[in-house]
Amino acid sequence: MILSLIVWIPIVGALIISTCPGEITAAQARRGAIATFWGLVVVTVVAIAQYDPTQGGWQLVESVDWIPGLGLGYRLGVDGLSFPLLVLNTLLVGVAIYSTKQGVPRHRFYYTMMLLLTAGVAGAFVAKDLLLFFLFYELELIPLYFLIAIWGGDRRGYAATKFLIYTALSGILILAAFLGLAASTGFASFSYDVLQDFTAGQGGGAIAASSQLILLVLILIGFGIKTPLVPLHTWLPDAHVQASTPISVLLAGVLLKLGTYGLLRFGLQLFPAAWHQIAPVLALWATISVLYGSFAAISQGIALGDMKKMVAYSSVGHMGFILLAAAAATPESLMGAEYQMVAHGLISGLLFLLVGIIYQKTGTRELSALGGLFNPERGLPLIGILMIMGVMASSGIPGMAGFVAEFLIFQGSFSVFPVYTIASMLGTGLTAVYFLILINRTFLGRLGGRTSNLPAVTWSERTPAIALAVPIVLFGLIPQWLVLWSDSSTEAIATLLQTVS
Amino acid sequence: MDNFLTVADFNRVLLSTVWLGPCYCLFGAIATLPWSTALTRGQGPRLPAYLNLLATAIACIHGGIAFFATYGRAVTYIDWPWLRVGDLVLDFSLAISPVSVGAMELIALLVFLAQLYALGYLEKDWGMGRFFGLMGFFGFAMTGLVLSDSLLLSYALLEMLTLSTYLIVGFWYSQPLAPKAARDAFWTKRVGDILMLMGIIAVSSLAGTLNFVELEAWAATNPLPAWQATLLGLALLSGPLGKCAQFPLHLWLDEAMEGPNPASIMRNSVVVGCGAYVLVKMMPVIALSQTALDVAIALGTLTAICASLVAIAQVDIKRAMSHGTSAYLGLVFVAVGFQQHDIALLLLLTHGIAKASIFISFGSVILTTNNQDLREMGGLARSMPATTFAYVSGALGLVGVLPFGTFWVLYRWICEPELPLWTVGLALVINGLSAVNVVRVYGLVFAGERTLKTRRAPEMPWPMAVPMVSLGILNLLVPLVMEQWQLALSYTINNASSQALSELFLVLMMVSGVSGGTIAGRLYFRNDRQPVSLPSKALQDLLAYDFYIDKIYGVTIAATVGLFSQLIAWTDRFVVDGAVNLVGLATLMGGEGLKYSTNGRSQAYVLVLLIGIGAMVLLASLSSLGI
Repeated sequence: MILSLIVWIPIVGALIISTCPGEITAAQARRGAIATFWGLVVVTVVAIAQYDPTQGGWQLVESVDWIPGLGLGYRLGVDGLSFPLLVLNTLLVGVAIYSTKQGVPRHRFYYTMMLLLTAGVAGAFVAKDLLLFFLFYELELIPLYFLIAIWGGDRRGYAATKFLIYTALSGILILAAFLGLAASTGFASFSYDVLQDFTAGQGGGAIAASSQLILLVLILIGFGIKTPLVPLHTWLPDAHVQASTPISVLLAGVLLKLGTYGLLRFGLQLFPAAWHQIAPVLALWATISVLYGSFAAISQGIALGDMKKMVAYSSVGHMGFILLAAAAATPESLMGAEYQMVAHGLISGLLFLLVGIIYQKTGTRELSALGGLFNPERGLPLIGILMIMGVMASSGIPGMAGFVAEFLIFQGSFSVFPVYTIASMLGTGLTAVYFLILINRTFLGRLGGRTSNLPAVTWSERTPAIALAVPIVLFGLIPQWLVLWSDSSTEAIATLLQTVS
Repeated sequence: MDNFLTVADFNRVLLSTVWLGPCYCLFGAIATLPWSTALTRGQGPRLPAYLNLLATAIACIHGGIAFFATYGRAVTYIDWPWLRVGDLVLDFSLAISPVSVGAMELIALLVFLAQLYALGYLEKDWGMGRFFGLMGFFGFAMTGLVLSDSLLLSYALLEMLTLSTYLIVGFWYSQPLAPKAARDAFWTKRVGDILMLMGIIAVSSLAGTLNFVELEAWAATNPLPAWQATLLGLALLSGPLGKCAQFPLHLWLDEAMEGPNPASIMRNSVVVGCGAYVLVKMMPVIALSQTALDVAIALGTLTAICASLVAIAQVDIKRAMSHGTSAYLGLVFVAVGFQQHDIALLLLLTHGIAKASIFISFGSVILTTNNQDLREMGGLARSMPATTFAYVSGALGLVGVLPFGTFWVLYRWICEPELPLWTVGLALVINGLSAVNVVRVYGLVFAGERTLKTRRAPEMPWPMAVPMVSLGILNLLVPLVMEQWQLALSYTINNASSQALSELFLVLMMVSGVSGGTIAGRLYFRNDRQPVSLPSKALQDLLAYDFYIDKIYGVTIAATVGLFSQLIAWTDRFVVDGAVNLVGLATLMGGEGLKYSTNGRSQAYVLVLLIGIGAMVLLASLSSLGI
């Protein structure tokens, strides 16, 4: 029941905002969205209270047959893999709503779309039925498309369509894989448990190894687009650059996590034997992704280009770590993957938020046009400190969540893929290269030119950033508080892989 | 009477809470945040400064009492669990021993003196609050580091040192050179850190622990094939290489002199020492590979010689001495390479206090003359007695010529029977070059006629004079301190067979120091102030520009990274995106066919609906086949 509430509360909120009769002002629409968010917070807290972290399996399960002829069921459930991401989704939606400009144009449509997006993402994380997952996965796509296409920058049309085509392709590939899987089991059901039983459990062997491999490749490309992995990534920088700040926060914070979540849930967990078979290739792919993303971000730094593009490429690099961890599939590395998903969600959310504030105050995101923003009198000193924190967390400086995630990933992957792990660690070093260029160009140096008279930053702009900064530090200092939610699940996945291999 | 707290109880409580030492400093740093972020506009920066001073003072008092309480006790450990995942168990562990608590006390004391000094040095600086916060953070990381008995915790704190170095060097961020200096400091140290992290990951996988005590036990079983041990040793070596400003990761220390002087006091004394401290802690693992030890010795030797020469060619007062820091840390590396950890730690102690004393006097010189160029100074000894005292006592402590700090350490070192003869020569040469340098600086800055810039140079007010004089006195007391606590560092007395040899060495030490000093005195104790130059301009420039190391980095590593990033940028634009465009999607995306302004939105609906419906049709047909 509680998971349904998490999915349906935003949908109901969206319905109310979009269909309530008469004119409503932007402030009213915003209040409606905020009320929905706090409703979501309450339900999420209840879910946290009900969730038993010591158990590795599915929890809070709901199951209703929907269209038995299709094998489609309304089956929901969470485990240690999805639960932290579900909570992260709630947090980031709040950040996105609160960081939206007060007088956003076409406000009704905007908040409706944002809430639908929330519902789609939450639904995808809790779906325990492959077809249901696919429906939510597609549902999330449409509002995001509009959010970029209507409220985006100058080239929003191009970026939104590119995003749509890429992600639609991703959806088709995933659907094809799901259908193929269901077909080879006689369309008995799309239930995750049933299908997993066929591929990895007692019913194993029902699907030939070669078919499993083909299905896994479809899944990999499908979710690889979403993650994104090089070379399937070029939609991401465009989408980020064109999207408005709150949308970038959501896109980097949770939308990309759908990709890695899908890789783990529907790749690794559904096809453990095939996964194990191609794991070295995946590790190589991950390493390429990490280095490629890092160097692309550096090129933005050297060219003094767009900050947002730099952060977007850094996301490409950092999501590569997750694939490396998933390829190694040891208990430590899988925990690291989960940790990285949450940490990257918080850190990249924070970075996009801060870049958005800089953009709003100075009117530019070009590194060549900025400088000296650290100035305490006329600059943005608090934003500067948060920015330094964010980039240091992203570079894996200890004391913040990014370090724990990267340490677990490297530690867990080293015993399986020592060379790829070492190569990926270079990516961590490169992160410091481009982000230091960013800090030096924007915050250090002299304040002058067009950036000399900046409007003041209000507390309503700072608070969302602080709300993201606090858990980054907290999970960096006391990792056990995050580990305990997923520990038993990631261990179970690692065991699954070990038994198959 | 049982209810009363006895002295023993009191000591025990202070000992078991010695971990509070770093926390006091951290508290000070956190309390400064509102000032660092300009939330307290209109409030002066004095309050956070006093808060930080108070916090550091408490740390000093706590540490001081705890140090006396540890004396003569066995090492105890405080553990607390940090991370447990699968088979991975990572605990943070603190070792409470006379050495660790003593080092903590020394650091806290130096931080306190530097902060007191900063009260005067940065009196008119609007960023004073921020500076004190950063010093508190510095103090936290260093005091924590010397207590740490876990490689992971040590690494974490080393990284925090890297971060705070970046922030402190970039303190005057609107000055032209500071951002670049801060960036270079971060990058250079980060190179070492990442390599060290690779080593840590490897050792954690191999040994299953990151606790120094357990690592030592593991290393004693000699568990690795040679090539693994070598790679591991070299990786672990790189972290301290960067931290201690050793070749090839040394260029940051020179540039870091862009930061405010109170931080330079710390940087040249204990910050570089922290790297070596961790190195000593890691030695059981590094020593698994003789190659790694040889590399440490080779790099240490190279750095010691080159940095000593480079130091003499500098005209900036701070840079002249900061290169000397690299040189002495080079000797520490050599000592560690020969596994003479006592010598290494003692050298860190005496060098640290001597350098702190020298740099504290430099701050006063710079503040009063608004100048850092050695060539434009002179005659300050007459008007600045406290400053001169701090410098001279620091110089005496640094150079082995009279029986102060470093003299005894170097002497003891060259008398070590198993030390190869060339190392004795190295120590003597470095000692001689160091003497040249300190006498040169004295001649240019303190002796001779006053110049235009030093004519009106008053002595500093008390917040700066007190720490200067205290450090000066401390320097002179170092031999007594070592005598008092030499047992704490397991002092070994030479056997009698080399009695004659050791007397010869004693004479040689003095000769090396005196001859260095005499040469410099002849050259620089002159009133005509003619610049001294080497016969070859090229050679002089080579030394003055530190072997052009930053240029070399520019055309090698930086250029490689730049090239790769250009290559990737090109690939991204023309190959990856180009392929997408080739497929023809570009026309769809950018073309006139679909416009997503108000009127064209319906097409998007259509597209999405088509995809959805197509999927459903596919599904239905498949399911009908399947059923």
